[in-house]
Amino acid sequence: MLFYSFFKTLVGKEVVVELKNDVCLHGTLHSVDQYLNMTLHDTQVTDPDRFPHLIAVKNAFIRGSVVRYVQLPEDQVDTELLADASRKELLTSKK
Amino acid sequence: MELPHPYLPGAISLLDQLDKRLIVVLRDGRKLVGCLRSIDQFANLILDEVVERTFFDKYYSDIRQGFLLIRGENVVLAGEIDETVDTGLTKISVEEMNRMEEERNERQRKIEQRKTAISAKGKLKEADMDDAY
Amino acid sequence: MVLPLSLLRTAQNHPMLVELKNGETYNGHLQSCDSWMNIHLRDVIFTSKDGDRFFKMAEVYIRGSTVKYLRIPDQVVDLVKQEVAEVRRQQKDAQKQRKQMSRGGGRGGGPGRGAPRGGGGGPPRGGGRGGGH
Repeated sequence: MLFYSFFKTLVGKEVVVELKNDVCLHGTLHSVDQYLNMTLHDTQVTDPDRFPHLIAVKNAFIRGSVVRYVQLPEDQVDTELLADASRKELLTSKK
Repeated sequence: MELPHPYLPGAISLLDQLDKRLIVVLRDGRKLVGCLRSIDQFANLILDEVVERTFFDKYYSDIRQGFLLIRGENVVLAGEIDETVDTGLTKISVEEMNRMEEERNERQRKIEQRKTAISAKGKLKEADMDDAY
Repeated sequence: MVLPLSLLRTAQNHPMLVELKNGETYNGHLQSCDSWMNIHLRDVIFTSKDGDRFFKMAEVYIRGSTVKYLRIPDQVVDLVKQEVAEVRRQQKDAQKQRKQMSRGGGRGGGPGRGAPRGGGGGPPRGGGRGGGH
């Protein structure tokens, strides 16, 4: 649930989502659920020549299980806080 | 943290897209374009007036598929299409698309043939060269 | 809006095409289905992935998790829509009747409130699943 909570803090921020089929989508994170399914708004595909079918897509629902990476806005992520939260989660799950 | 209201997370956020025309990319690489009629918590989708869209260079063509119920697991992405965007793509008939794909396959076959011919020649040369030592 | 799995349940006894994740297709009449999308078809024509081999089969049972999508003929969709509208109308009428009944008899409120719970969700669903197995 940690990463679900984390991604919720990024709602409204710009991210780049790379899928397992090599598609890269740039957009504003609109929502995320417990499976890390996401919706992006104002999407742009980074390689339109390779993926012409995504040129005209403005909003996209992406299934969590097909995501390879999410590139995050560096200035919006408190890595210290995230590391702390990870440790806490680990401790609580051990109990 | 400010969440849009009402906040419909993840799969349920597709409810926003009901009755809109979506492009759905499947895990097998197929692209389907249709009207979203229904959705559930597994992201199973019901699409109406569906066409399967195939792309080639700057061209695409549509094949009618009708009414589909897609099992959520197979969905990679479902995107709303902005009709106002100029994609620079031209729609062609299915026959035209088949012809272009056949031409490409033919070209590839020829390249493969040439490759095997060259490697066969290579082997011959090597065999001939035994005498050089 | 009809949920995808409810639509499937309503499409029982109608023809449809099931494509599996591995590309095989099964064309037949939906005998029954359940909430896991497990599917029982009758009078089936099987088509291999490449579309080059065909087999007739009397009966096929398909595990839901192997399904890619279901293609449902437009006529069947229209029939199902009519059926759903009819069922909803009947449920509404029944509800109205119960309301009138409970208004008539002072103590009728108890059973009157209990009845919709059983009549609304239980029997139709239970009946659909029970018929399948």
